[in-house]
Amino acid sequence: MVAVDLRRPDRPTGRPRGIRPSRGYRVFQVVNAVILTGVVVVTLYPFVNILARSFSQTEFIRSGQVNLWPKGFNLTTYGRVMSDPMFWTNYRNTVVYTVVATAIAMVLTTCYAYVLSKKHLRGRPLLVGIAVFTLFFNGGLIPNYVLVSSLGLRNTIWAIVLPNAINVFNLLVMKAFFESLPAELEEAAAVDGLGTYGILLRIVLPLSKAVIATMILFYAVTFWNSWFSAFLYMDRLELFPATVYLRNLIAGATAGTDQTAASDFGLQVAANIQAVTIVLTMLPIMLVYPFIQRYFVSGVLLGAVKG
Amino acid sequence: MNYPVTRRQLLAAAGAIGTVALVGCGDDGSPQDQALAGNRVGAMDNFGVGTQFKATEALNFSILILSNPAYPYNKDWPFFKEVTTRTNVSFTPTVVPLSDYNQKRSVMVSSGNAPFIIPKTYHPDEEQYVAGGAILAVSDYMDLMPNFKDKVAKWNLQGDLDGLRAEDGKFYLLPGIHEDVWVDYSLAMRTDILQKLNLTVPQTWDELHTVLKAMKAAYPNQFPFSDRWSTPPNPGANNLLANISQAYGTYAGWDWQGTHWDEATGKFVFSGAMDQYKQMVQYLNTLVSEKLIDPESFTQPDDAAQQKFARGRSFVISTNAQSLVNDYRKDIASIPGATVVKIPRLMGPQGAVKAGSRLENGVMISSKARESKNFVAMMQFIDWLWYSDAGQLFAKWGLEGQTYTGKVEDGSFKLASDVKWAGLNPTAPKSLQVDYGFYNGVFAYGGSTKLLNSQFSEEEQEFQQAMAGRRTLPVPPPHPLSADEREQASLWETALHDHVNQQTLAFILGRRPLSEWDAYVTELKGKNMDTYVDMINRAYERFKSKR
Repeated sequence: MVAVDLRRPDRPTGRPRGIRPSRGYRVFQVVNAVILTGVVVVTLYPFVNILARSFSQTEFIRSGQVNLWPKGFNLTTYGRVMSDPMFWTNYRNTVVYTVVATAIAMVLTTCYAYVLSKKHLRGRPLLVGIAVFTLFFNGGLIPNYVLVSSLGLRNTIWAIVLPNAINVFNLLVMKAFFESLPAELEEAAAVDGLGTYGILLRIVLPLSKAVIATMILFYAVTFWNSWFSAFLYMDRLELFPATVYLRNLIAGATAGTDQTAASDFGLQVAANIQAVTIVLTMLPIMLVYPFIQRYFVSGVLLGAVKG
Repeated sequence: MNYPVTRRQLLAAAGAIGTVALVGCGDDGSPQDQALAGNRVGAMDNFGVGTQFKATEALNFSILILSNPAYPYNKDWPFFKEVTTRTNVSFTPTVVPLSDYNQKRSVMVSSGNAPFIIPKTYHPDEEQYVAGGAILAVSDYMDLMPNFKDKVAKWNLQGDLDGLRAEDGKFYLLPGIHEDVWVDYSLAMRTDILQKLNLTVPQTWDELHTVLKAMKAAYPNQFPFSDRWSTPPNPGANNLLANISQAYGTYAGWDWQGTHWDEATGKFVFSGAMDQYKQMVQYLNTLVSEKLIDPESFTQPDDAAQQKFARGRSFVISTNAQSLVNDYRKDIASIPGATVVKIPRLMGPQGAVKAGSRLENGVMISSKARESKNFVAMMQFIDWLWYSDAGQLFAKWGLEGQTYTGKVEDGSFKLASDVKWAGLNPTAPKSLQVDYGFYNGVFAYGGSTKLLNSQFSEEEQEFQQAMAGRRTLPVPPPHPLSADEREQASLWETALHDHVNQQTLAFILGRRPLSEWDAYVTELKGKNMDTYVDMINRAYERFKSKR
């Protein structure tokens, strides 16, 4: 995300001869490095702490002794969470829901945004208006529930992947991106004999990798983290995504009101259960980041070359 | 995507969708018999107290089931199998995670999709559905529930039950019922410190004051008492305030209620302006000013309080039976010679009393169920499973000879050695809840004191014995409000409660001198205290004259 390469000025070969950085610039470099290191520490510390907590024994966490390194190394909670077949069922659901939902969302959002980016389209303001309207108003929880129920979507994947398929914010970002592509390119493609779909698939989309990668990431993270629609529209445990499973686990570990709920397990792991949860849900999405990162950089370059 | 739902939205939606209108029935027997003529399929003709319910044909009821992460719902539980064997009834469940049970319930009820049986509802949650007509007025069908009626009469629960009634005089929730008030929360105390200082376990709040002073004298650099359970919106140290307010005869902390019934004048008064409330605040202020209680007790997170106790920085902390065994004992294991017990509730000016509700969360019935041809059988089934002695024992402890042996009545009850539950048989291979589905919070709660006692360790039984000797205070008389009044009252209540909380804390921590108490009461009047109390008193009179 930060495209500034800090190492470059220190490498003798990377700097053109004869131009020496001014003193002010050097000071700036140092200050910059210090501040950014600070930012890195501040952002990383909680993650490392969470990781350490997830491997620690409850007593040490409660007495505030766990900092950067686990104390009283302990895998009970990982074991308990991961040995439960329901956890894996739900995890698989998360993956399936995320992949299918992201695919559907990408197709619909791209098509809608591309259409909206064409200024000569008749009724364009109306189509934009329809989308923007939903930013400010929605039917509300219960009407949505009734709608999904009467469409017979409850307890199917469609209840999760269809209602949230187009995110208007993403739609507008994508529309703006398409609008910024030079119209001449498309005209040239048309002259060379490409139809509408050919232009979209062979010219526009390959040039839009940056925005597509961003949108995929936005959508995937949203769907990965989402729990509410699954919780609402699914009536069986084996249909829930992992987020609902883990959310329930945390609630069970912290709920004190239900006396029969206070089982031996619930209280034993209450202190590190949250950490385990965060690690398990965060991990896959974090692993995806490095692979998508390069598209962000190329996106920045694309902007630089243009004009 | 969390959509916040307000009560009003729910009501409006429920109304708009036009859920089934309530079918009212007379209280006396014969017209009801006629009205129910078409709803008796599968029902028993001679169902009564002591009868084993068995539907005359196989029946299936839809039910909302809360899945507790400690024992996630499992359709293959022996519990379900045995229910079907004994009663010929099976369930079609909608399984909802504990984390957001109430929200799903609201959506399902308001959208007209609710299952027939809706357990795990805490009063007054059911009130929000009454106006929409989606929930059945169960008080109209008491004749179908002989076990429930029997226990209400035997345990003298009519007064408690009246507290559930809506303005129309009916109640909409079948509550879990206890024979006696169950006291769990109290204070935990380091007994090794008591011994070392030659002190005995205090019995009253005044004695606690003496004990804390002695502890302070021996350990001048620390606060002997640092408390927990300060989750907003209550003032903080909510268990401490609940305990002590009961001893003084008012409401505070977790036990907070806006109005307190004054037996002498036969009127409700505002809790936060009572003399008893002032005395209680004064007592706590003394503890703070003498540095006997950690001022952070009223604001710190639970973890911080537990850490202080775990490190021996404090000797007294609020507890329940579970926290004592699962947290504090384990936490202080590293301190040589440290021991901790839960002491019986401290007494105050009220003497040896206990107070509280004998009702628990309970079951709502969808109005649609009334239309079902199996309605009578369903009510009989609910009555058997949740309210008969046999049903309660079964739901709680399972199968005689398999999961337990002996009898609850004569104290010979014993959990089978290969089955564990909470603190009992901790090393056993099977769990009563996870592997069998018994002691499930959806089906098992309430019951006789003997049934309750069967679940306690010896230590906890001692505590229960100490509490059993205390007199149970009567519950305040019912004063149901109409929907409009309720809305107005809750506005006033919120403003008043906020002010009470803020000022309670200010008085206790010495930020405001107690000499300003009268000014504080005047401030409450400025926030409609009198109008609010008048409304409650009017509602009480209205309800009294109606009956």
